[in-house]
Amino acid sequence: MKLKTILILVCFLIAIPIFSQKRLQPTPEEISLAKKLKEKFDKDDPVALLHSKEVITFGYDKKNDNVTVTNKITEKYISLDDRADISLYRFYDGQTSIKDFEVHYKNKRRVLVYFKDEAYNNDGLFHNDSRVMHTNIDFPLKGYKYTVTLTENIKDIKYFTQLYFTGEYPIIKKEIVVIVPNWLELELKEMNFEGFDISKDIQTDAKKQTKTYTFIAKNIPARYKESNAPGPTYTYPHILFLSKSYTQNGTKKPLFKETQDLYNWYKSLVNQLKNDNSAFKDKVAELTKNASTDDEKIKNIFYWVQDNIRYIAFEDGIAGFKPDEASNVYKKKYGDCKGMANLTKQMLKEAGFDSRLVWIGTKRIAYDYSLPNLSVDNHMICALVKKDGEIIFLDGTEKYNPLGEYANRIQEKEALIENGDTFILKKVPKAKPNFNTEKMNYNFTLKGEDLVGTVSKSYSGESRTYLLNILNNLKKDKKNEALKNYLNKDDINLKVSNIKISDIENRDVDLKIDYDITVKNAVSSFDGEVYITIDLDKELKTLELKDRNLDFIFSSKKNLESITTITIPDTYKITSIPNNLSIDTKNYKLLVDFKQNGNTIVYKKNFTIKNAKIEKSDFENWNTSVNKLKNIYSEQIILNKK
Amino acid sequence: MKFKILILAIFGFVFMANAQSKDELEAKEFFWGKNDKYKNANEIPDKWKNESAVVIYKNINYDYHKFGKRVTYKNSIRKRIKLLDKNAVEEFSKFSFKNRFRSTKGAYTWRSKGKIFFGIKIIKPNGKEIVVDVDKEAIEQDNGEKKIAIANLEVGDIIDYYYYSLEPFKSAYVYTFEPVEQTLSAEYPILNFKLYLETENDFFINFRSINGAPKLKEIKTEKRNFRKYILEEKDIEKRDFPRWFYPLAEVPAIKMQVYFARSGKFENQAMAFLPENEKIIKSTVSQNEILDLYDTRFRPTGRIGDVNDFLKGKTFHSNAEKVTAVYYYMRHYYLTRFIEAMIADKTNITKYSPYENYGYPVFIQNQKQFVRHFTRFLSRNKIPYDIVVATKRYNGNIKDLLIESNVDLVVRVNTKNKLYASFFSPHTNINEMSPYLEGTDVYLLSPSKYGKLVGIKGGKLPSSTYKDNLSFKEYALKLNDDFSEINLDIKTKLKGFSKVDEQYDRMIFSDYVYQDYKKYDTKDLISLIKGKKNRQQTKEKFAAVIKKIKDKQKKYFKEQAEAELTVGEDDIDAYSYKIEKTGRYKFADNFVYSESYKLKNHYIKKAGPNYILEIGKFIGGQVKIKDKNRERDANIYMTNPRSYDYKIILEIPEGYKVVGLDKLNKNVDNTTGAFISTAKVVENKLIIETSKQYKHNFEPKENWNLMLAFLDEANQFYNEKVLLKKVK
Repeated sequence: MKLKTILILVCFLIAIPIFSQKRLQPTPEEISLAKKLKEKFDKDDPVALLHSKEVITFGYDKKNDNVTVTNKITEKYISLDDRADISLYRFYDGQTSIKDFEVHYKNKRRVLVYFKDEAYNNDGLFHNDSRVMHTNIDFPLKGYKYTVTLTENIKDIKYFTQLYFTGEYPIIKKEIVVIVPNWLELELKEMNFEGFDISKDIQTDAKKQTKTYTFIAKNIPARYKESNAPGPTYTYPHILFLSKSYTQNGTKKPLFKETQDLYNWYKSLVNQLKNDNSAFKDKVAELTKNASTDDEKIKNIFYWVQDNIRYIAFEDGIAGFKPDEASNVYKKKYGDCKGMANLTKQMLKEAGFDSRLVWIGTKRIAYDYSLPNLSVDNHMICALVKKDGEIIFLDGTEKYNPLGEYANRIQEKEALIENGDTFILKKVPKAKPNFNTEKMNYNFTLKGEDLVGTVSKSYSGESRTYLLNILNNLKKDKKNEALKNYLNKDDINLKVSNIKISDIENRDVDLKIDYDITVKNAVSSFDGEVYITIDLDKELKTLELKDRNLDFIFSSKKNLESITTITIPDTYKITSIPNNLSIDTKNYKLLVDFKQNGNTIVYKKNFTIKNAKIEKSDFENWNTSVNKLKNIYSEQIILNKK
Repeated sequence: MKFKILILAIFGFVFMANAQSKDELEAKEFFWGKNDKYKNANEIPDKWKNESAVVIYKNINYDYHKFGKRVTYKNSIRKRIKLLDKNAVEEFSKFSFKNRFRSTKGAYTWRSKGKIFFGIKIIKPNGKEIVVDVDKEAIEQDNGEKKIAIANLEVGDIIDYYYYSLEPFKSAYVYTFEPVEQTLSAEYPILNFKLYLETENDFFINFRSINGAPKLKEIKTEKRNFRKYILEEKDIEKRDFPRWFYPLAEVPAIKMQVYFARSGKFENQAMAFLPENEKIIKSTVSQNEILDLYDTRFRPTGRIGDVNDFLKGKTFHSNAEKVTAVYYYMRHYYLTRFIEAMIADKTNITKYSPYENYGYPVFIQNQKQFVRHFTRFLSRNKIPYDIVVATKRYNGNIKDLLIESNVDLVVRVNTKNKLYASFFSPHTNINEMSPYLEGTDVYLLSPSKYGKLVGIKGGKLPSSTYKDNLSFKEYALKLNDDFSEINLDIKTKLKGFSKVDEQYDRMIFSDYVYQDYKKYDTKDLISLIKGKKNRQQTKEKFAAVIKKIKDKQKKYFKEQAEAELTVGEDDIDAYSYKIEKTGRYKFADNFVYSESYKLKNHYIKKAGPNYILEIGKFIGGQVKIKDKNRERDANIYMTNPRSYDYKIILEIPEGYKVVGLDKLNKNVDNTTGAFISTAKVVENKLIIETSKQYKHNFEPKENWNLMLAFLDEANQFYNEKVLLKKVK
């Protein structure tokens, strides 16, 4: 009996592929469609979605008094390559759940795949409640099709903030259907629709008491896999959901109708804190007792937090929004941005200052607080209101950051500052590019076929902060070697010696590095002529922005002032020096200047990246400039024997 | 009914919880209990004040206990570390561990559940001890995987932590534990090092301290069946492993392997050099012991009907020719014949298992099976042979052999010129063995008429020379009209050990299996598939797989070319690649491939009306020896002798002449190696030939300067340039 059952089962299992395989083979039409799509989209796209549909509906969870969201997703894939292997995955967390994640052949039969369900941690966070369900599927031939379905449930509408029309692969038709019941006040904000073929239709159903929004986007390319890109909120078309209020049993309850509502919710979480500062009372006293001015006191506390609290983030459920108690952070010596902000606030408070918590979105997010929504911000810092009313910001996650200097990632961003029951909105001040200046001073003499001389470098602003952070985190016993390798660029033609560096613990002054250098093989002599390659740094030479669709974003604004002086022996005369360059645009300035002064040549470079970005519209000009620069770098200084 | 189940469940839970805490307390007591001599060890010597961290105490324990078939293996480590900088604090600020796991050792039972206990405490500079509550503070990710962020950790603190793994399993027969081979030195200097070993009867131990590491000492115990040993060392400097170095050949280290065998019968089953009895720690293996272990294990066996069929009707001039032919036949018939099926299986493109198409084939899976199978053919054909017992150079000399898994076996066929046959991969040749075996001392086991191994004697394996392992590249360079691009046509010829890795890197199965099918008149996978339609569909899918791999490969080769010339990804254009010769039937045959592409914006610099061409760059990136490595106190271990030869032919652009040839003629040639280059102009071509030679696989440290001499010269050549001077 048992054997029989097994045999029948085996036959049945084997029968499935024989039965279905016939109808799985791509038809000529499907193959030709795949070919057309391949030409239309990026050549690296292995598959496309012929149709992707998301149907959003809303419900009410009486028990928790929450509005719930359900998203039913159907995706029809076709392979554009002769063979494609892709992974299907979906993230979820404590607020969301996934069910009915299934894959079907084109004949509608279900594919037997196993979805792994794993905890997911991205690099920056130590722990969060994110999980991922994933599996791999293969498309054995061009034009092969699968349909993927799943349902996503979100427990609380607060966490349902945006839906994108773009995805990892190109989409021929993207449909987003939002069925809003009349009891829910929801605004659908259309973001970055310009330049895309997106249509909208609104239908009202009096019987069902709903309003249905149908958005159809056509021919949407895949998201670009480009480094140094602006955040997705700047570029890709999406709908931002502003849930304002809901009415149940005749009572209207607010969600995030106004910024005040968002603040109220944030503030309600902060109000749950006990703020027992006894753990660090003594520490604050110790840090402030010898400080003669308020600024010094603030500095001592701020720098102590930077230096002693490690960034380790737990973002599990409400911990993603509610700061940890300052005393916990103090005792643990680690925390996330909220924990550090809160500890900074409480320590300053303990020292008698008016300090506040600040919610802020970094530059990665395009929105400001005019759009009350949980996706507006992703960071928390501390603000200090001085006696004269001036507000300064303190970000404990930025290491070696001097008081009053702000990282590029928060500059010009709107800060939501705690102010009792109300709030203050203020932009973080913008820094000028020359705030982050790197100065290079090379002084060479030509000796035989070597360039011998001294170098003096100084770094201010974010260029200093960046270097101090690296230097201070190196292994003590490897620090000198690492510094040497940094200065000689791992090039055995550069011999660096006698290195002198300013105090790497002091973030309030410019970082200065002086050293001696010998450069081998920078000079070649042929037939009594001497050719010199003068530039050791050749900044920006690899930064040609080709095949790129998105603005290029730098980590900060840049300003380089480089002067190289080379003295040549009297027995030579200078016969040729490279050309100068002068380009000044909205976003960047590139100046190169060669001057001959007797038997010395002074080579100056002044490069400024004014707004920490090169815009796409600027790429052509930028590339022309970079190529001119590359030509200068490859040109030689030529000397002839007198 | 329901109530009963509930009670049982509660009872089970309570019972387990209790058991766990008992083990947990035992682990804690074991390290931090009243017998902890290092409880107050907080000081470090002045000489290490500038280190990133100093290990005050490192303690490793291996405990083996049993009850009948039930084994309990405890393996634990404790480190007490003084953290001296931020880097060290960061390093020790997060831990992850698995607190439960399933043992993979012995027979599978649901009971073989392993547990790991993890304890951490911090000792503040004022001596205050803070024990971390791991259970409370660790968070679980998935399936017992936990992680913990260490609170209140600062520079100047001491972190004292242990992992204690308890692994019960059942083994009715023999169980061989994983070998342990490790240096005493590690990332940070160690002030006190102690390794303890605890065993009972039925556990056999092989252990040796090498390169000056202290010896294992027995500690007297009360119980008769219970044995305890210790290895102790102090003041171990942090390790520093330079380039070309085999740590186990020079640095103080230990080698250890433990076996569990319940009775004499099982002892004989163990594939190991067991000590005579459990009381003896075995530290050397004699020739006779090797013979004893292997004598009956290598009787020629295996189905060789296919080989006999292959030989039918063929005549050979010599046994050597016959052995060679059979070796390559086996490589195909037992291996490369199935590669298509492996690919098909992995990519899911056949309806049924692709292996179904091969009946009941021979598939050789390891060295030992290969030796038995190959010698079956030899003995059937009355061709004399020995079995070579060797060990790779990085394990040390064969005379110091201790761990059986360190043995490599090769068949030496005693034809007029000896032939060596090794277990094959798809491209292995006759007379090819692992480069790590070359020139090593070995034992030769000789068989009796009936195949039992009866004799053992010492021997030495032959070595190749730098000429045998040649990598040759010919570059034909042509500049475009405006000097912005260089067109390159490159032919690469590789032989000996220089071709081995590249053959695996540069060929995919479709580049060679069809060659084998043709040579041996066997059938490819597609023609074995039944049903016309099915065959056609599989063929299409298979073609798609090949195309996908080829496309990926091409991208990868382009990246390789970019890396070789140290240029960026947009700097190489119009890349093409072709395999000319697979070089798979003789070790000395060349594996040949050609490439061509355009190189943009590199290595040509404008110099007034003239151009400087960085011609030296075409010999590819050279080994860079940094300042701190120019002094060397360790001997130099390389894989094999080898040479890298280049021929660079530049078409001199019309209207220009080449100036600066003098710097391209170099000659440093010493006992360790050489860099030799010549340059000449023939008609309108500049022809440069270079040869970089590493003459041996080993150099004593005293020869480091000689090596530096030719390495530096090669580096200098890499920097050389010529001037293309406009002719007026």
